[in-house]
Formats: sequence, C-alpha cells, structure tokens
Amino acid sequence: MVANRVEKTGDIETPRRAWLIGLAAWAVPGLGHVLERRWLRAALMGGAVWIMFLTGLGLGGHLFAVTGKEQGFGVMLQLLPMIGNIGTGLLYIICWMANIGFVEKAQLVTYEYGNTFLLVAGLLNYLAMLDAFDIAAGRKP
Amino acid sequence: MKHLLWMAVFAALVAVVFGVSAKGGDRQRLVYGLKVFGEFIAIAFLLGWILYFIPFR
Repeated sequence: MVANRVEKTGDIETPRRAWLIGLAAWAVPGLGHVLERRWLRAALMGGAVWIMFLTGLGLGGHLFAVTGKEQGFGVMLQLLPMIGNIGTGLLYIICWMANIGFVEKAQLVTYEYGNTFLLVAGLLNYLAMLDAFDIAAGRKP
Repeated sequence: MKHLLWMAVFAALVAVVFGVSAKGGDRQRLVYGLKVFGEFIAIAFLLGWILYFIPFR
C-alpha cells in the first residue's frame, strides 16, 4: 500500500513555475512566498533570514569562500560552510562583490556568534526555499 | 548577559522558521515553534552548567 502511494506521488509532474519560485526564494529570502501571495509566511520566514544575516554581519561574522589557495583537505573547511552561506542567495553574492563580511574579525568577542548567525541564515533560507517550492508544486497547503 | 541575549535571539529566529515550515494547524505550529525555542534555551543552560564544572585549565 505504501509502495502504491509512493508510486502514485512519483507520477505528479512538478510545474515549471515551482522551480522558478524555488529559485526566487533562494535568490531573495522571502520572495518565493511573496510570489505565492503567502504574505505572513514571507514576512516570518524571509524576515527571520534577513534579520539573522544582517545580525551576523553586524556581529562581525565571516562569510566563507573557496579562494583556491587552500591545500589538500583544507578546502573542505571552506567549502562546507560556504555552501551554507550561499543559501542566502543574492545577499551572499552582493557581499562577495562588495567584499563585505569576507574579512576575518577574529578579535571580536561576537565573531563566532556572527559566523553562526550567517551560516544558519543560509541554512534556514534553504528550508524556506523548499517550503516555497512545495507550496508552488501543490505538495503543501 | 549579552551572550544569553544573542543565544535567545538565535533560538527565536530558528524557532520562527521551524514553526512556520512545520506541518499541521496554526495552533500546532505555534506550539511546535515555542517548543523548539524552549528546547534551545533549556539545552543551552544545561550544557552551560555541565561545561562550568569541567575543568578545562
């Protein structure tokens, strides 16, 4: 019976619009839900991600990037957190272009807090992106 | 005190996203969000006290 159900749900084709909304939700936190006209969700989820990202920068957090100078497995120490940071979409890209948040400020007491806020902002936006995608695909009410 | 404040802000923001993205009715999601927030705070206090008694130096 469970196999039947899995097989049936597998047949449902994901509309192209859902992919675009997923992309918008990744690019600008909250935009995916705005396009779905889920105003409260957009305000709560997008707002939380924006606040977390800006607080992280304010606390002196550090955005990670693979520069090509890393040796051996050292690249993993940059790559994994970078994947988390990239979750904030254009916020990360704009900061990268403007070189904001890429300078380490380890002397600050709140530096580690800032790092954690920035990382989790990206991870939460991945969650918000999947939520917007599921709503657009009709998998979530 | 600032450490506690930032930890509480962090817990609140994560709880909001977890609560909103959870399944169920509005009330269930609100309770879930509050539970996540409470668990963050409770575990942080618990770990804090455990680490307090471990002599690192």
